Amino acid sequence: MACLGCILGCMAEHNEKGKSIYDLDLEDRTNESRNHIELDQKQNPIPIVCRHCEEAECVITCMSGAMTKNDETGLVEYDKDRCAACFMCVMSCPYGVLKPDRVNKKVIMKCDMCDNKDIPRCVECCPTKALYMVEVAK
Amino acid sequence: MAVKMKAATCKSADKILEDFIAELEFDTCHHRIGTQDIKCGFGLQGVCCKLCANGPCRITPDSPKGVCGATSDTIVARNFLRAVSAGSACYLHIVENAAWNLKKTGENRGKIKGKNTLNQLAQLFEIDETNDHQKAIKIGEKVLEDLYKPRFKEMELVEKLAYEPRYKRWQELGILPGGAKAEVFDSLVKTSTNLNSDPVDMLLHALNLGISTGLYGLFLTNKLNDIMLGEPMIRPASVGFKVLDLDYINIMITGHQHSLFSHLQEALVTEYAKEKAKEVGAKGFRIVGSTCVGQDLQLRGEHYQDVFSGHSGNNFTSEALIATGGIDLILSEFNCTFPGIEPICEELMVKMICIDDVAKKQKAEFVQYSYEDRENISLYVIEEGIKSYKNRRNKIKINMPINHGNDDTLTGVSEDSLREFLGGSYKPLIDLIVAGKIKGVAGIVGCSNLVSGGHDVFTVELTKELIKRDVIVLSAGCSSGGLENVGLMSPQAAVLAGNSLRSVCEQLGIPPVLNFGPCLSIGRLEAVATELASILNIDLPQLPLILSAPQWLEEQALADGAFALALGLPLHLAKPPYITGSKIVTKVLTEDLEKLTGGKLIMDDDVLSTADKLENIILSKRGALGI
Repeated sequence: MACLGCILGCMAEHNEKGKSIYDLDLEDRTNESRNHIELDQKQNPIPIVCRHCEEAECVITCMSGAMTKNDETGLVEYDKDRCAACFMCVMSCPYGVLKPDRVNKKVIMKCDMCDNKDIPRCVECCPTKALYMVEVAK
Repeated sequence: MAVKMKAATCKSADKILEDFIAELEFDTCHHRIGTQDIKCGFGLQGVCCKLCANGPCRITPDSPKGVCGATSDTIVARNFLRAVSAGSACYLHIVENAAWNLKKTGENRGKIKGKNTLNQLAQLFEIDETNDHQKAIKIGEKVLEDLYKPRFKEMELVEKLAYEPRYKRWQELGILPGGAKAEVFDSLVKTSTNLNSDPVDMLLHALNLGISTGLYGLFLTNKLNDIMLGEPMIRPASVGFKVLDLDYINIMITGHQHSLFSHLQEALVTEYAKEKAKEVGAKGFRIVGSTCVGQDLQLRGEHYQDVFSGHSGNNFTSEALIATGGIDLILSEFNCTFPGIEPICEELMVKMICIDDVAKKQKAEFVQYSYEDRENISLYVIEEGIKSYKNRRNKIKINMPINHGNDDTLTGVSEDSLREFLGGSYKPLIDLIVAGKIKGVAGIVGCSNLVSGGHDVFTVELTKELIKRDVIVLSAGCSSGGLENVGLMSPQAAVLAGNSLRSVCEQLGIPPVLNFGPCLSIGRLEAVATELASILNIDLPQLPLILSAPQWLEEQALADGAFALALGLPLHLAKPPYITGSKIVTKVLTEDLEKLTGGKLIMDDDVLSTADKLENIILSKRGALGI
């Protein structure tokens, strides 16, 4: 229903000033979400979230080695210190989820599954359970 | 085999209640809170606007303005003022009905139970009458005349009711209210689609509404009720679910308008009512207090010992009280009458009657109260009570929590009864404060909600923390209901206070937390504060006094809050009142206001850091006074 709860949750989780929703300055352009919501052809909202692909195009096209697939966790990880900001990952992502940060255009807004959280914040904040977690067997 | 899964219930400061609710087969607020725990971030920050068809618009870094161009400041201020207006309207409705009842009591030569208050107000309002009934009529009329004035005419009684330095400050700030209802009306106009966009103008309007809410909706409602229903007298009383006596036909009352029950209280203890009750096997009728109107009746309990069984608890205990099965009829006239009580009533065959349509419940029968019809309404309630008792008692299983509440809660504290207790003047209290035996005064007021740690959790924890630091606590509102049921308003709670406060309490035989009753009594706290300030010849913001509505719930609480800020007092809220999305609104309320009224909003959801902040304010105010 495009409540944007997942987006606010993601912004709050990655806010350096604190993780509470009250710490989040909604007018500060440096607060940015790693997921987004688009409208499809029928004007239905669809959440665009990182799939942590098995054969990740972003990893394959990354020349600097900033994007890597962690075989143990299955997550696609991003190291901003190794990133050359060539944006190949942005161009190659088949889901259109990756984007450069809006202010400096230096860092890729990449889902990190909220580091060590059991349930990522976007899932936690979804009131309709449109986003949910399932363990996929390899 | 299908196993019924029990939903988890939320925490409560009152463990007996928490355990009782956890085992209930009914769905209550304490169960539902878990199903609503994912909150909308835009709502929490107050930056959602649906005032027009282009909405809902929400503020994000990508969309910093609504379609119309409204900024976060405009959106937040509009939402905030709308909430304060609604809250103010609620209290004005209450005082309006009280004033009409007083006027009609006078016209019909009804019983005047509070002669001292009648004379106090007659003198204050400069009413030149010798006859008590004429005085009552004139007092009622003066209040109504003010409420109904147009916005461009200042209300006459404000200057008489307000503390002089405050009145002057309000005059300088241009926030003296015109006709109270007209002020609410125009604040609705102001906050409608594409009208006012100035956050500061809207915040000043909220303060203006706070003044009429406080002086009329709170303070005067108490006084008018004291005239009609009797003045509060200090006494120990039973509280909690233990007040229910199953041998009687039990009528639970919910709301805020005590004067609407004035006739019924007498009718229920007539020989006629007693005989009728005996015919169906009951000993008679009892009124069981619930929510603020129960708290109000408790305050005046000295006058109603034969009909009032005691106060059971606050807003979030009402569903559980009905679930005991011991209630036969519910009579409601205002909030907090939760929609959640209806399915429980249906299941347990509890008759619901509503006597004011503002609180009409879907499943309740509506019988409009009017002074003229009071006798018929009372007779009808008696008849329905009999019917319900006869019909349900042999079919219903009673489920009572064991040992809920206590028998020695000190009640009946008011601005007048406390002064009398202190020997006719507030001087002894001031002496204790000056001597440092009492560090300062905290008003812990407002509601209970289920989000600040659980039911009454923040209220009880903060209160314990403050008394430990030798700060005496005065409570008014549902907060009192929670604090009394956990024993903090019983004299033995003195052991929880710091050494100095403890010795004061033990010497006087009082608890460290004083029970002023319903939220309406926030007006009584203002009267106490004013009296302290006038003896010291200082203005209210200079007092070592803080207010906290830690677990505010309703729009009414926000109108009370606006009053506190207009009075120039520091006001703490655990949950932000949906304003943090606006930098201007937040800055004005938490910083700039100190230079305007002296008031200041403090938002903090941690008990210890809140107690630190409040204690520091008290200490710095003591320092400024040189004590």
